[in-house]
Amino acid sequence: MADLPPPVQGPTAKEKKYDRQLRLWGATGQMALEDSHMLLINSGPGVVGIETLKNLVLPGMGNFTIQDSAIVSEADLGVNFFLEEEYIGGFRAEHTCNLLKELNPDVQGNFITEPIDSWLTQPDSLKPFTLILAIAPIRPELLARLSAHANATLIPLFYVHCVGFYSHFSVHLPSAYPIVDTHPDSETTADIRMLKPWPELLQFAKEKTSNMDTMEADDHGHIPYIAILLHHLEEWKKGHDGKVPQTYQEKTEFKTTISKAARTNNPEGGEENYDEAVAAALKSLKEPEPSSSVKEIFKVPECVLVNKESPSFWVIAHAIGLFYTKYGVLPVPGAVPDMKARSADYIQLQNVYKSKARKDVMEVLESVRFLERTTGRETVIEEKDVEQFCKNAAHIKLVRGRPFHVVQAGETIKWGERAKSIAQNLTFPDTLIPLYIAFLAFDEFVATHDKDRLSGAPKMPGETRQETDTEKVTGIAFKITDDLIKEAGTFIEEPDYTAVKERIGEFVQELVRAGGAELHNIASLTGGIVSQEIIKAITEQYIPVDNTCLFDGVKSKTEVIRI
Amino acid sequence: MGRDKSARQSLGSLHMRIKQARRAPIHEARVLMVGAGGIGCELLKNLVLTGFGEIHIVDLDTIDLSNLNRQFLFRNEHIKKSKALVAKESAGKFNPNVKIEAYHDNIKDPQFNVAWFATFGIVFNALDNLDARRHVNKMCLAANVPLVESGTTGFNGQVQVIRKTQGKTECYDCVTKDPPKSFPVCTIRSTPSQPIHCIVWGKSYLFAEIFGTSEDDAPELNHNEDSENAQEIEKLHQESQALKRIRDSMGSKDFPRLVFNKVFKEDIERLRSMEDMWKTRRPPQALDFEQLSKEALGVADTIAQKDQNVWTAAENFAVFVDSLRRLSNRMEETRANVDTGNAPAILTFDKDDADTLDFVAASANLRSHIFGIETRSKFDIKQMAGNIIPAIATTNAMTASLCVLQAFKVMREEFDKAKMVFLTRSTERVISSEPLRVPNPTCPVCSVTQSTLLVDTSRATLKDLVDDLLRLQLGYGDEFSINSETGILFDPEEDQNLDKTFNELGLKADSFITIIDDADEDTKVNVVFSIAEKTLDKDTRPIHLPGKLKIGTKPKASAPEVNGNGNEHNHPVTNGVTNGKRKRGAEDNLEDDLVKKRGKVAAAPAVADDIILVDDATDGAIVIDDD
Ligand SMILES: [Zn+2]
Repeated sequence: MADLPPPVQGPTAKEKKYDRQLRLWGATGQMALEDSHMLLINSGPGVVGIETLKNLVLPGMGNFTIQDSAIVSEADLGVNFFLEEEYIGGFRAEHTCNLLKELNPDVQGNFITEPIDSWLTQPDSLKPFTLILAIAPIRPELLARLSAHANATLIPLFYVHCVGFYSHFSVHLPSAYPIVDTHPDSETTADIRMLKPWPELLQFAKEKTSNMDTMEADDHGHIPYIAILLHHLEEWKKGHDGKVPQTYQEKTEFKTTISKAARTNNPEGGEENYDEAVAAALKSLKEPEPSSSVKEIFKVPECVLVNKESPSFWVIAHAIGLFYTKYGVLPVPGAVPDMKARSADYIQLQNVYKSKARKDVMEVLESVRFLERTTGRETVIEEKDVEQFCKNAAHIKLVRGRPFHVVQAGETIKWGERAKSIAQNLTFPDTLIPLYIAFLAFDEFVATHDKDRLSGAPKMPGETRQETDTEKVTGIAFKITDDLIKEAGTFIEEPDYTAVKERIGEFVQELVRAGGAELHNIASLTGGIVSQEIIKAITEQYIPVDNTCLFDGVKSKTEVIRI
Repeated sequence: MGRDKSARQSLGSLHMRIKQARRAPIHEARVLMVGAGGIGCELLKNLVLTGFGEIHIVDLDTIDLSNLNRQFLFRNEHIKKSKALVAKESAGKFNPNVKIEAYHDNIKDPQFNVAWFATFGIVFNALDNLDARRHVNKMCLAANVPLVESGTTGFNGQVQVIRKTQGKTECYDCVTKDPPKSFPVCTIRSTPSQPIHCIVWGKSYLFAEIFGTSEDDAPELNHNEDSENAQEIEKLHQESQALKRIRDSMGSKDFPRLVFNKVFKEDIERLRSMEDMWKTRRPPQALDFEQLSKEALGVADTIAQKDQNVWTAAENFAVFVDSLRRLSNRMEETRANVDTGNAPAILTFDKDDADTLDFVAASANLRSHIFGIETRSKFDIKQMAGNIIPAIATTNAMTASLCVLQAFKVMREEFDKAKMVFLTRSTERVISSEPLRVPNPTCPVCSVTQSTLLVDTSRATLKDLVDDLLRLQLGYGDEFSINSETGILFDPEEDQNLDKTFNELGLKADSFITIIDDADEDTKVNVVFSIAEKTLDKDTRPIHLPGKLKIGTKPKASAPEVNGNGNEHNHPVTNGVTNGKRKRGAEDNLEDDLVKKRGKVAAAPAVADDIILVDDATDGAIVIDDD
């Protein structure tokens, strides 16, 4: 054995460093993160943007660029962890960039100190970026430009407010944003197909339950519950014209039958495998029907009309749609839940499910290959992607990304199809929609107020005059509210209407009182939430917030709304 | 415009309180932070930038490479240094006005006694293990200091305010935490059916027998359970003995072959010969050393690096032989260094120690081959053997910020508004919360009455305590017992200690004694006394109770609990340790869940940063904030 070459000791230092996160989003997620280049357009006190970046630099985002023309002031030091006294008078973009880079040598950081107005008008200035994070305040025409860019290039755009105890973010995702790896709650992933068994599974059940009445106690107590369920289902069908239990009453009866079949003449007074069968009985009588949102995906135009340019998601989805049309079920995912069983039986059962899953994958793969040929697709979809898709088929998700509101001075905000539902929810006592309206009013104030003519930096309410600004912003917020109610074609009765306005007034007052200032702790929390959503958008894993999230730091409360 | 502009504007009067508190003698804003890891780094930054004036940090841990993806106060050059000290240095640079004290110590050290805890206005637990959490919980209750407890697992996080008086809340121990999981010895040694069984075998049996302390001394294996067959247990014992003898030939060229043939051939053949066992199971198939050696000649030398791949039998063989050699060499070196004295040279399994992990991964997979069990990648085995909890920057950032927001409520004494806050993966509601619960009336920690006893320990005897203080002053009857941290000191049958002094009984300053009343009627709740040493005037009693003590009575025994452990609260987040329900992983980690059915090999004791494996815990839907 001395001549056996010594294996090099792995994993690499990089894998070790990222070990704890690789266990969440895996190597593919990590690769996506390392290939990304985020632009942060920083503004205001600029803390939330930097805190967000911190949480992305640490896990190894490939590249970031900070655009910020602000100069470091003393006030920055009290809230921004990534600035030090010696940098006062220097460019904030430069110093925050350098200190962030120190966190992770694997990450490339860049900064731009040119004012946003002129920088953004240069052609191709946004070209290098795979994701943009814009921090309020920002002039509406610039935000509109970013939004148009996101629309055209399908890159995600995030927009964040963080003022005093409150924050908000909205995300503009591509209009078709499908996710295969949604990381479903593990309790929902078991799919044992009791109502659609295949021959090998039936055979397994038959083998394990033959002469069950004369079995030794220990053997009887180790029949896998899946075999018990199938056995009793077959028995039931014999007495019911070949039908499985239909009504609730029948189902309950079925469950009782199983529980009565358990042996109780043992020291434990029952059998664990039978307990498992009883517990799974009702659930297993539900047709293995895909959720409506999954079925919906098979019907959307992107899925129905696959062409040579279609992203691979749609090609595979189309193929699985065909499978579903043919069999009325999705491919078998192949997992077997843990259960009381003999080791060998359990392994055999795993193989029964695995072979079936494999067979289904091969059938889907065949359709995929057919589609590739017929559409003249140039790149070949990898088999492992098809396999992964089949495994997750019941949990795929399609998010329809959409632009968020860009408040233009003097223009009425359009709520479109969302008007009705948002106007309705506005009266709920705990909703944070009034906070969203307060932030919209905040933006309209920004749109019409400059700090000084020269640099054109926007001014935030409350920076100098509390009372008059509160009055102004409240007035704007009330108008936005009335316009919303009008667009929804509805009417809010008293005293609800007054209550809504009071809540909006309170939020406005709090925002103006902060004078555009950030609290570090709120910025840090918001940065945590936003960076998490950015990681989802980059890795295309997990289900993202769609599309707006509000945070009230007084009550430690969030609300997600679709606008 | 100074540094404080933002905080002043938004925090208002609270900001002034935090600031003024810096000048008060024992001020409410003196903060203790236990743990300087993932949550700790974020928490320290937030506390510094919120204006807290004095922060004490205690952490025994040192910095590891795998911390750097989230613990942003640490860099490569800090690896192996003290977390507490580096955190102090890194955070202090950013705000010279804040006073930070760092202790590279165990929070359970006697220097951190109740009196010391009582000097803080608020305590933050940013810990990663059950034991330390429970300790701090107990100390905070004894010192009557509010505690903000927190924990994370992957995307999930949890923050809980614990306060003994004023809005009395549930404490950390009010909800029973799951004990570590374990497997019966027969499953591990004779009838494995899942990858985890083979991994536990590789780690707790094979590795321990060859390089560590013997299985007989390992706390994880329970020999008493599930002994289907006493003869088999005896056989297994003989196998262990035989393996120990092979251990003596470590260092010889033949060593890998000897070990291999013993555990992957002879033991398997013996098992297989017991035909009764394999009537209903697939019999195991022994492996052949010579054949695998030949196949392994083609294996690339980088194989151990490919930790995401599932290795073939030959690849596992190559890694097994090589890692065994690496470990043997290390063992030899250790032996050479431990030349004198009786300390035996041993190696311990550490998931971050590539040699030990390679060995366990390869051994586990070879065993899986034998039993027809699915094999696993080294990456997966590391998680299962090392009890790794996923951890990321984003969750820590959110959780630490939520801790500070809850601390604001504590400092404003708005306990009615303080919440139990959860981070979930739900996209409906990123953060959820529920009102703090009332204490569990039978909680072994907080349902007790706590007090301090002033004791002249050289003079006071147990008799003074029993007759004078407990019976005469506090009205105890005949049926009660006195327990120290090491055991029973007194009960109606155990009275030989009565004439011993506190000193003789080892009851020194800062030790605890618990009085358990066994009266049938109006049974008193347990009383925990922490002992304060004091020389008392010779003419006075040698034990003195400072202030009045009111002892409540125990609630009448209630109806039997449905699920045995009386845990009706199902906390959705594991707090970094198992707590409440555990959910099954997706297909790939079927056995990550270890076994709920029959098992008894405990998971390894909690080590810093990596506790008990929970896959992506849950999305638990929780009561919506109705504040
Ligand atoms: Zn308690």
